[in-house]
Amino acid sequence: MIPLQFITAFLMLFMGFYAFLYKRNLLKLILALDVIDSGIHLLLISFGYRLEDGTLPTAPIYTGYETLKGTPMVGPIPQALVLTSIVIGVCVLALATALTINAYRHYGSLDINKLRRLRG
Amino acid sequence: MSEDMGLIVKTMARATIPLIGIFGAYVIAHGHITPGGGFQGGATIAGAGVLFLIAFGLREAEEHYNHKLYSVLEGLGGLTFLGASMLGLSVAFFYNVLWHKGGVFAGEPGTLLSAGYLPIMNLAVGLKVFTGLVSAMMAISLYRRWKE
Amino acid sequence: MMLPFLIIIPLLGAFSMPIMSLLGEKARNAWAILVSALTLGVASKVFYDVWSTRQLVVYTLGANTPLGKGVNFPIRILWEVDLFGALIALTIAFVGFLAVLYSIEYMKHDTGLDKYYTLILTLELGMLGIVITGDLFNFYVFLEIMSIASYALVAFRNDTWEGIEAGIKYMFVGSLASSFILLGIALLYGQYGTLTMSYLAVKIAQNPTLVGRVALGLLMGGLLFKSGAVPVHMWLSDAHPAAPSSISAMLSGLVIKAGGIYALTRIAFSIYATSINIKTVGWLVIFFGCLTLIVGNAMAVVQTDMKRLFAFSSVGQIGYILLGIGIGLAAYGTKIGDIALAGAIYHTVNHALMKALLFLTAGAVLHEAGTKNLNELSGIAKKMPFTSFAFLVGAAAIVGLPPLNGFASKWLIYESSALYNPFLAAIAVAGTAFCTAAYIRVIFTFFGAPSEAVENAKEPGKAMIVPMLVLITAIIIMGLLPWQINDRIMLPTVDMLKDQLHYVIAVVGGA
Repeated sequence: MIPLQFITAFLMLFMGFYAFLYKRNLLKLILALDVIDSGIHLLLISFGYRLEDGTLPTAPIYTGYETLKGTPMVGPIPQALVLTSIVIGVCVLALATALTINAYRHYGSLDINKLRRLRG
Repeated sequence: MSEDMGLIVKTMARATIPLIGIFGAYVIAHGHITPGGGFQGGATIAGAGVLFLIAFGLREAEEHYNHKLYSVLEGLGGLTFLGASMLGLSVAFFYNVLWHKGGVFAGEPGTLLSAGYLPIMNLAVGLKVFTGLVSAMMAISLYRRWKE
Repeated sequence: MMLPFLIIIPLLGAFSMPIMSLLGEKARNAWAILVSALTLGVASKVFYDVWSTRQLVVYTLGANTPLGKGVNFPIRILWEVDLFGALIALTIAFVGFLAVLYSIEYMKHDTGLDKYYTLILTLELGMLGIVITGDLFNFYVFLEIMSIASYALVAFRNDTWEGIEAGIKYMFVGSLASSFILLGIALLYGQYGTLTMSYLAVKIAQNPTLVGRVALGLLMGGLLFKSGAVPVHMWLSDAHPAAPSSISAMLSGLVIKAGGIYALTRIAFSIYATSINIKTVGWLVIFFGCLTLIVGNAMAVVQTDMKRLFAFSSVGQIGYILLGIGIGLAAYGTKIGDIALAGAIYHTVNHALMKALLFLTAGAVLHEAGTKNLNELSGIAKKMPFTSFAFLVGAAAIVGLPPLNGFASKWLIYESSALYNPFLAAIAVAGTAFCTAAYIRVIFTFFGAPSEAVENAKEPGKAMIVPMLVLITAIIIMGLLPWQINDRIMLPTVDMLKDQLHYVIAVVGGA
């Protein structure tokens, strides 16, 4: 049976792609981009979880109180990758919001089917 | 958006904005011991800035905001980050020379003054994120000039 | 030794631009020119080092050697430069310097210019980071830096509806493509446990699985989005005309090459080369290349907007480069594949120079005459003779006339496609026929009878003439010695690119 975290991650990806392709409001498209990113982040983090000798791993923080063999930890590398990716997602979100406000000023509506003046 | 939000909200905002600032500073400064660090703490303190903007209104926030100062602080944060990473350039780029050679930042792993250049970089990134996010929020809310 | 300065100098320039702009306008312009000139110097030194010794340069961030103490796999972020990366880095630094020089006079009437110079230095930094990295996640971070800077620059003139609409379309499509690329990288990490390119090549060769092939498909899909291949090329024709002209030159000449073509070639040749059925991947790339050739060049014939015509012509030329790379993949290891790949790399460098010259010319015409509609611009050759001569050189080079540099690269692609499969050569020649028709139309318009919109047009100022002059000189000089350049620079590039064994051994060290 596939573990639950992978099913959730792929479900979030599919919901994000569906919303991106079928919705027309610009703000819903921005939220769909964010849901796709969150799905990929969940997928990346859940790759670091591994069972070792049957004991469940804990968060990777050295507090100086444990010995080196008794307490396994989750992999720390995917957490660094996801932190970087969250910052990139915030930047794209901020730029998208600013452009949407500008588009409302020029076009008068937030419908993406109305942004069709450039054609040919 | 130009008027404030009533007496109850303003009083609560006066009480919680300094506390959010202190908690954000704790998250930035302990980035190499507990979860957190530069970006997370900077985003928390930017939350305090946005709370000021919403509770007290646009006119009040515009008097306290100086966009040239925030731009210069953002540039200084970036330059501190780059300078801290270039300290060990004779060995390699991003070499942690403050940890290997000893000094102030070379204590026991797990205490506050340890891990080489990491606390300096956390402070620089926190400053840059805070000033950048507050500048973006002020630019978006000052854009409504076309209505009035 | 000199390699980290390729990243430190533009980053220093971009972070200190708000402080420099407090000191006035002339200080800010001088600082921008100084930073980009220093970057050009460092890039030429790196290219000369790699070219004269023919060895890979491996640089580790944070330690002396890539291997830690007692472990036998790389645990650091590595930078690994071979001749292909150094060549594209030199092109990026050269065209970037000329674009910054051009925009000193072109953007004089706009406001908010300190943000503009910060963004253009960040764009150059992102592209330089992509071509020198040897680690997949570092590649994704630099790709996003380049993409976000270019979304903001396309929408720079936010008081016109054209910039905002083009910026929104470009941003949504570009973010979707970046999500595909991130999904491919996540699947590769989950299956193999490492993201360093050389060590990943070793692991994929030992154990090719289905997840690896799905990841290759996702990565190629996202990168074809970013380089403007045909089913997904719509954003290119809206974004490149709407940007200011110096940014159009950088977008059309450099961004679609560094972010799309270079990454595709690096992933196909240095990570996956011997572990998959390389003929199938090659024929897939050939199929998309042929579609792009025909559709791009054909759509360029019916445009009335000058910059939109140039943008569609860019799509067509990307089709040539994809055709060359596809034949190089499908005929991997034979002499035909070598020639095709040399033609594709040569055409990348040539097209960057030619398209930059054409867009700078279009910017000069727009700056002086105030319109870019071809129906109103007839007879501009009498008022602006130098600009028309520059446009003539650029158009002749793209079509492929002999004494200029477009001829050699197109000849290599024709020859290799004719030897591999004559049907492909017929498609390539048909594409060139459409391209000639489009540019002859613009030349007839320029050299016709003067209309009333060009009455008070004159030559632009000195800061806009000098970059065009430098590009014309470079095109003519490169056109006079084509076979020397081919034998000394392009063929060794192909040899180092195909040599996956040395790429891996330079890092893993035979362990």
